[in-house]
Amino acid sequence: MNPLLTPELGTYVWSLVIFMTVLFVLRKYAWNPLLDFLEEREKDIAESLKMAESAKTDLEQIKDESEKILNEAKKEGKAIVGDSKLRAEESAAKILNDAKAKSNEFLDDAKSKIEIEKKRAIKEIKEEVVDLSLELATKVLQRNVKDDDNNKFIKSSLEAVKVDEAKS
Amino acid sequence: MFIAEKVGKEWTMDQAPQYAIDHVANSKKNIFEFDFLNSLSAKISNFFGISSESLFYIDLGISKHVFLLFFVSFIVVSTIVTLIQGYISHKKNIPNKFMSIIEMFVIYLRDDVLKNFIGVKEYRSWAPLVYTIFFFVLFGNVLGLIPIFDLTGLIGKIGYNAEMLGKDNILYLLSKGGHTVTANVNVTFAIATITFVAFIAAGIQKYGFVQHWKNLAPSGLPWPLYFVVVPIEFMGLFIRPLALTLRLAGNMMGGHIALIIFITFIFSATAELGGLAGFGIAPFSISLALGLTMLELLVAVIQAYVFALLTAVFIGMAIHVDH
Repeated sequence: MNPLLTPELGTYVWSLVIFMTVLFVLRKYAWNPLLDFLEEREKDIAESLKMAESAKTDLEQIKDESEKILNEAKKEGKAIVGDSKLRAEESAAKILNDAKAKSNEFLDDAKSKIEIEKKRAIKEIKEEVVDLSLELATKVLQRNVKDDDNNKFIKSSLEAVKVDEAKS
Repeated sequence: MFIAEKVGKEWTMDQAPQYAIDHVANSKKNIFEFDFLNSLSAKISNFFGISSESLFYIDLGISKHVFLLFFVSFIVVSTIVTLIQGYISHKKNIPNKFMSIIEMFVIYLRDDVLKNFIGVKEYRSWAPLVYTIFFFVLFGNVLGLIPIFDLTGLIGKIGYNAEMLGKDNILYLLSKGGHTVTANVNVTFAIATITFVAFIAAGIQKYGFVQHWKNLAPSGLPWPLYFVVVPIEFMGLFIRPLALTLRLAGNMMGGHIALIIFITFIFSATAELGGLAGFGIAPFSISLALGLTMLELLVAVIQAYVFALLTAVFIGMAIHVDH
């Protein structure tokens, strides 16, 4: 018999026993733990990928929202600035108008006061002139009442005063 | 010249085939003798009514290949268990170089073989068997390529006197012959038997005993055809493990025999044409042997893969019956 094909039942039995033992040991201490481990790791990886994906979409959403908020804030700010400018202009115009009105009032008041003062001054001057002319007249009269020239002079002076009075 | 002369005296060209066969075959004697194993062998053989002269005598003594089986299984278990336990107990989970090779094979077999042929749901219960077959055969093949025990032969030849060593010495018995367990048909037949049992068990587990055997032939054929189909399918059932056995053993055997024949060119040339011719042919011989060893390395992985793949395919066929 060819030695390469000789049945050696002893070797066969030993092979079965040894292989089964190896199978048992490796199954318990190697393959099952390793397969569990690999499965767990793959699950972990899948989960973290999923989480990363969701985080990405969340981030995009947040970005969109923040942009929206920013745009709104900008718009609002613009509106506020425009509004306040308008109001400031309005109030400035009002203040200016008020001031103008007041100053006009003051001016009118001053004018009328000046007018009154003027009238009073003129009146006073007139009184003074009368007094002065009376004084003058007395003085002249004391000197030469009889003189015709003097009479004429008095008459003309008085007329002059009358004309002055009429003028004012 | 000393070795050449020594070899030249002992060697004749027609010894080469026998030398190569001796290299691959199991030892004719047990290298370790244990009384309890001998009595156990006798008891079991008596129980089956096998005489000690019979070819089928169950000799449980530790022959060279049985010793090597222990050696291979020790290496397989210690390497894989150490690596995997170290890997999964680490919190960092970064595989080292050897572990990433194992992980690559494991993931490849799981995704492309187990899930494909056995099924995503059922694969877990059969995965350990397929993985164990793959790595056991792979380690057996690769360890056979490493001439560990040829070194013991060298010690026997050069370090000691061959006569002083004696023909029954363990070193002498270990040294002669090949050391690839997977080149022994008995070993591969044992693994194939396990595959055989596994795929029948898978079918029975899924469909129950009766339905599993009914699944052997497709239903709905015209009845005369069953007389043809059933015997063919039944034969196929037994041919599957036989094919597994012979494929693996034949591949391993053939590679090693070719390897040895290439090396014996040197001795034959020396014996027939003198020492100088031996030196002349040596570079040619060695480079051929080197190339063949590389090829054998490839074959070692491929054959382990084929054995595991076919186991998965057969289990898958028993589980998914859709002819």
